[in-house]
Amino acid sequence: MQVPQDLRYSSDHEWVALEGTRAKIGITDYAQDALGDVVYVQVPAVGAIVKAGDSFGEVESTKSVSDIYAPMSGTVVAINAALADSPELLNSDPYGAGWLCEIECTDPAEIGALLDALAYQGLIDG
Amino acid sequence: MSDYEVSPLDSFHRALGAKMVPFGGWEMPVAYPSGTINEHLACRRDAVVFDVSHLGTVRVHGPDAFDLLQQAFTNDLAKVGPGRAQYTHLLDEADASVLDDIIVWWVRDDVFDVMPNASNTDAVRAAIGGIETTRDRAVLAVQGPRAKERLVGVFPEAAEVGRFRVQELMWRGVPCVVAGTGYTGEAGVEIAVPIAASADLWTALLDAGITPAGLGARDTLRLEAGLPLHGHELGAEITTLQAGLGWVVAWNKPMFRGRAALAAERERGVARVLRGIATEGRRPPRADCAVLLDGQPIGVTTSGNFSPVLEHGIALAFLSPSTAEGAVVTVDVRGSQLAGRVVPLPFVAKH
Repeated sequence: MQVPQDLRYSSDHEWVALEGTRAKIGITDYAQDALGDVVYVQVPAVGAIVKAGDSFGEVESTKSVSDIYAPMSGTVVAINAALADSPELLNSDPYGAGWLCEIECTDPAEIGALLDALAYQGLIDG
Repeated sequence: MSDYEVSPLDSFHRALGAKMVPFGGWEMPVAYPSGTINEHLACRRDAVVFDVSHLGTVRVHGPDAFDLLQQAFTNDLAKVGPGRAQYTHLLDEADASVLDDIIVWWVRDDVFDVMPNASNTDAVRAAIGGIETTRDRAVLAVQGPRAKERLVGVFPEAAEVGRFRVQELMWRGVPCVVAGTGYTGEAGVEIAVPIAASADLWTALLDAGITPAGLGARDTLRLEAGLPLHGHELGAEITTLQAGLGWVVAWNKPMFRGRAALAAERERGVARVLRGIATEGRRPPRADCAVLLDGQPIGVTTSGNFSPVLEHGIALAFLSPSTAEGAVVTVDVRGSQLAGRVVPLPFVAKH
C-alpha cells in the first residue's frame, strides 16, 4: 500500500497536499483498495463552505458507499471533473489523477492535526 | 482463528491476492486484484470461474427420494428426468415464504443432489433429510460466452454438457458431477469435484485462460440477469408469486409444502411484485431504498448496483402490482432522488 512521504493524512483515509493556503484532497491507496471498484463519486460543489470533519461527499463502489470528510476547513475552489465519467481514477491513481477537490483553507494550521506518513502507515498497519 | 468455514481452494485464492469476505458462514473471495468490474466484463465477453464451494449439497437417494422432493418443493420433477437440473422453491407451510431457492441436480435414477444456499442448508435438510456432502467436494462455476470453448482443452466432456443437463463424468480418473447451470445469465457449467482433485482442476481452468471471479462479480452479474438472491428478493414474508416466479410452481401437483398458503395468495392477488428499475447516471441505487411515483411511495428496492454493461444504475424492487412498465419513478438513495424507469427483466439479455 503506497503512503507518499510528502502528504498528510486523516484517520478517515484521506490525503492532503497543502501548498500555501490551498489544500488538494483525495482518498488513500488503502481506502481505494478497501472500497473496491469505485463506480461513482459525489464531490462538493465549487463554492461550498466546509468545516474540518464534516461529511462533504460520497464514494460509491460495487461493494458499498463511504462518506468523505473534509480534512480542512475552507471553501471548495476546484473539483476533479474527470471523476464524473471516470471514477475508476480513484482506484488506478489515488494520489494523482484521482484527486477529489481543492479547498482554500481558512486555517492552514489545521494541517497540524493530521497524521504524517509514518503515523498513517502505523494506523493502517493497525 | 477464523470462525468461518473455508473453501478447499482457500490458499489458492489468497495466493492470487483475493480479498476475502464472510458470506453465509463461509469466508470466500469477493474479488481478485483485477477487480469486480473487470471480472464482470470477463464473464460477459469471455469466461470466468467462481469457486462456489460454499453452496450446499444434500444428496437424497433411494426409492422414496422422488416422492419426498415432489412433496417438499414447488416445481414438478416429473417435467424433467434423470440427467436434468431444475430450479425450485421450498416454502414455509404457514405463509408460503420462500425458505430457500434451490437447484436440484437429478444425477441418475433415484439419486438427487439438492443445492441450497449456504446459509439455508440446515433448513433444507430439516425438510428433506438426506446426506450433506458439502464438505466432500468443491464446486466450480465456469461461465461466459467462451466458457465451453476454453473448457474443451481441460475437461472436454464437461464442455458438452447442455443447458440444465446433469452428467456424471470422470476427470483425470476422478468422478465429478457436471451441470449446465449457473447464476450469471451466461452459458456455462458447474462442476462438483472431489476435494482431492479440486486444486488441480482450478489450476487447469486458470491455465486455460479462464479468469477467476469473486462474489462481487457474481452479485452484479445475477442482478443484471434479473436473478433473485435469497435474503433480498426471496425470504421471510416473500412468496414465489411476489417474486414473479410463478413458473416455478407446479399447481398440477396435489400437494407440496406451503401449497395452501400460496394458493390463497394467488386467489386474493399479490400485494406487491418484483420489478426492475433502471436509474439514470452512474450512481448506484442500493437495497432498502424507497421507490416513489408522483411523489407517492409505491415500493422498496431489494438489491441495486451499478451495471458494468449498461453503465448506469439498476435495481430490483417490490412495487405495487399496478405499476406500469415504463413508469417514471424516483429512487430515494439516502435523501438523493435518482430518476428511474420501470423496465422489463432481465436488464441484460440472458444467453
